[in-house]
Amino acid sequence: MKHEISEKQGTSVVAFTGEIDLESSPAAREILLKCFESTSKVIVDLSEVSYIDSSGVASLVEALQAAKKNGSQFSLAAASEPTRRVLELARLDKVFTMYDSVDEGLTA
Amino acid sequence: MNAPPPGKERRNPRRFDRRKSTSVSAHLELLSKMSGHLAVTLNIEETIQKALDLIVQFVKAEGGALFLLDSKDGSLVCKASVGPVDISGVTLKTGEGIVGQCVSENRSRIVRDVQQDPDFDHSVDDATGFRTRSILCAPMSGHTERIGAIELVNKLDASRLFSDTDLLMLQTLASAAALAISNAHMTEDLVKQERVNRELELATEMQRSLLPATRPAPFPVCGINLPAYEMSGDFYDFFELGDGRIYFSLGDVSGKGMDAALLMSKTASLFRCLGKTLHEPHVLLATINRELCETAIHGMFVTMACGLLDLATGEVQLANAGHEPPLLHARDGSFTPIPASAPPLGILPLAAADDGIRKETLNLDGGTLYIFTDGVTEGDLENGGQLGVDGFINIIRESTDLPVADRIAAVVSLLGETGRKRHDDITLIAIDASTPCLRGDIEHNEAPMMVRYTFPAHPSELQAARKVVSKACTDCGCTESMATDIVIAVGEAIQNVVRHAYKDIEDGEATLEIVCKDGIIEFNLQDSAPTADPEKLKPEWPEEPGPGGLGICLIHDIMDKVEHLPSPSGQGNLLRMVKFIESNRNET
Repeated sequence: MKHEISEKQGTSVVAFTGEIDLESSPAAREILLKCFESTSKVIVDLSEVSYIDSSGVASLVEALQAAKKNGSQFSLAAASEPTRRVLELARLDKVFTMYDSVDEGLTA
Repeated sequence: MNAPPPGKERRNPRRFDRRKSTSVSAHLELLSKMSGHLAVTLNIEETIQKALDLIVQFVKAEGGALFLLDSKDGSLVCKASVGPVDISGVTLKTGEGIVGQCVSENRSRIVRDVQQDPDFDHSVDDATGFRTRSILCAPMSGHTERIGAIELVNKLDASRLFSDTDLLMLQTLASAAALAISNAHMTEDLVKQERVNRELELATEMQRSLLPATRPAPFPVCGINLPAYEMSGDFYDFFELGDGRIYFSLGDVSGKGMDAALLMSKTASLFRCLGKTLHEPHVLLATINRELCETAIHGMFVTMACGLLDLATGEVQLANAGHEPPLLHARDGSFTPIPASAPPLGILPLAAADDGIRKETLNLDGGTLYIFTDGVTEGDLENGGQLGVDGFINIIRESTDLPVADRIAAVVSLLGETGRKRHDDITLIAIDASTPCLRGDIEHNEAPMMVRYTFPAHPSELQAARKVVSKACTDCGCTESMATDIVIAVGEAIQNVVRHAYKDIEDGEATLEIVCKDGIIEFNLQDSAPTADPEKLKPEWPEEPGPGGLGICLIHDIMDKVEHLPSPSGQGNLLRMVKFIESNRNET
């Protein structure tokens, strides 16, 4: 898994690439939680994530819970087919705020 | 005892004299003889002749004839004749002559001098040269119907006059003959009815034999036909073409009864015969239509749907001529009617083209296509209502998880297997692409595929293990989306081994065995970690969305079967996960 963080209109956009599994999910968790130290709005770009397992989903859930606690905003954008599928199967697709694209998330 | 008045002695039954006593016993003897003959006979012509001989002899007449009424035109035909002139076959019109009068008025006559009687018809005498002087005639009748009459001519004794006793005797004998003839007619009717019944039985048997034999699962086509009466105006059929395709059809002939059944047999035979060479369902229907139009009768017609199922792709080519829309029950639970593109067969010649009978192409994609006659949708329910299309959909929906034959049985059981009389034939076939043989090309493989992959139970190994799973899915012909799901499920299982089973163990190993056969893909994941508590392996969705326990839930959601088995080596855990394969070739 690789990642890239960019600041757009006061929002941190975290773009992950590759697979988020047991090996990489601790890193993903760290990255996301750290973002909230400097911003109150985080969008995760999942377009290049080819696989995410339950530990990766757990990282996303933790970030969401942290955001709710702080009154920050946390959303997912452009979920790739495999990530969308896992979130559906986990019945979490309605729990997260999900945008079709990062731009849509930025203007919302 | 007072002496009887002169001239009355013959009529006093109480008067006893030896001569009469002899005569009475002779009468009784004749009656007994005749009744005996009549009671046992089935050959009515022969018995009539015998009875007439005895009567003529006994009453001492010169001749006699027995006439039977022809129920069709009311004429009287002479069936037996005794005497110097044979008048067998002579036919009298209704009410003609003394015999005719006797029958039409249902009363006996003594005509002592025919020349004085205006009713006497001279034509027979004129034609034969016979001289009729006196006549004795008694009608024969059954409970409700007139049967005919017995006529005696010319008393031969010195008086040359028939007596009242003669008439009484003739009446008695005529009654016995009437009963025998009536019985013989009934017997004849019964024999005829028996023959018709037997023929019907054979025809029913013959017609049943036109239906295809039931094929055991997982053969994807099955059907049922329950006639309302002995013969059915509905039919269904299916057969394999030998190139991996199955031809199927279902039809309903307008009307019921024998004529509909015969047209049904003809249409079913045309389907089976022409279907072997015409592999385009709409061309086949157009050809059957032309044939039926050429020999159309009584405005009868046939509604019919037929199609070809490609086992490899799950694709169906369907043509429908005036038949109730077949219903496609898709895997997502939706029902789609596929309406007819052409009028029924046997009415007008139609081209197998866009303006005539069209062909629809649809992919069953793991769903089921139901074709049925209106006897199903208009079938009576126990509560007096009709099943209807909605009712049909409901019962199919309720029984979706059952094998296709059981689904059909569930529909039929609602429609009068409870002993109620059906008004229409019930016919239903299902083309079921959810059967495993349609889900992949596995059964065509030479040998089942097998992979065995052993790896260190470490997070860094997970990606490589998932690649093995992904490749196996592709090799087995799984669809892309199915492969994605399987990788998610098996990935979670492997992750659990790394994360939980070997929680505090650094150098653990796991083995993944993948077997692909008979339309299923099976994963056996074996570790040598301490045996897990089965309670912790049960899927349990968290009340609050969260990461805990998600992996096990995903495995159970995705796989068709998940089992925690005792490890063959006695140590560790074995997780078996099975999935029915959906073939790539189902995707168009």
